[in-house]
Amino acid sequence: MRLFQLQRVSAIALLVFLTIHMMVLHYPPFHIDFARILERMADPMWKAIDIAFLFFVLVHALSGTYAVLTDFDCVSRARKVLAGGATVIGVAAFFYGAATILAFQPPV
Amino acid sequence: MYRSNGFISFLLRRVTGIALVLYLFTHMWVIGSALQGSQVFDARLAAVQTPFFKFAEVALLAALFYHAFDGLRLLLVNWFKITDYRRSLFYAAFGLAAIMTLAGAVPILVFLVQG
Repeated sequence: MRLFQLQRVSAIALLVFLTIHMMVLHYPPFHIDFARILERMADPMWKAIDIAFLFFVLVHALSGTYAVLTDFDCVSRARKVLAGGATVIGVAAFFYGAATILAFQPPV
Repeated sequence: MYRSNGFISFLLRRVTGIALVLYLFTHMWVIGSALQGSQVFDARLAAVQTPFFKFAEVALLAALFYHAFDGLRLLLVNWFKITDYRRSLFYAAFGLAAIMTLAGAVPILVFLVQG
């Protein structure tokens, strides 16, 4: 899949996931703390939705950053290094984010 | 060229995109404190609930809505080959982003005042 296709597919997914995220978590504004988030995250479906959201947001963010940076000639020469770096950051951020989502467990 | 709608749209989309990427990793760092337990999480979250961050949230909303609507405009123009409407769709995306930002900002600022 080409970079611009990756950008578009992830953008369409984000339109759905971001709308859900904003409506459920931020609108209307309310006091947020660990206990409040735990109420929602007790349902495994929300964990799955949030992990899918994390995946698409990282794909969109990192492929977008790659596209912006490779517009500069000096960076463009090192595009393979940049692509490798973006992949490493993406994988690490995905595991960190997924671990965070799974950390919202009710006390035993 | 540098005053054309196409260039302004291109520049704004990239600037908002970079701002959103920086926000994403900051957001992950804040929420990631859940790995250290509920007390650390609540303390870190409280640190970003100050009035300054509420105003920053409004700026974030503006960047997010502009980036989303302008991106949607690009998808529509490319899919339906409606390049003749590029300029009007740019104004529509800008207007929609402004309306949605306002609709999101009012409850945030009311919540800030009322607590």
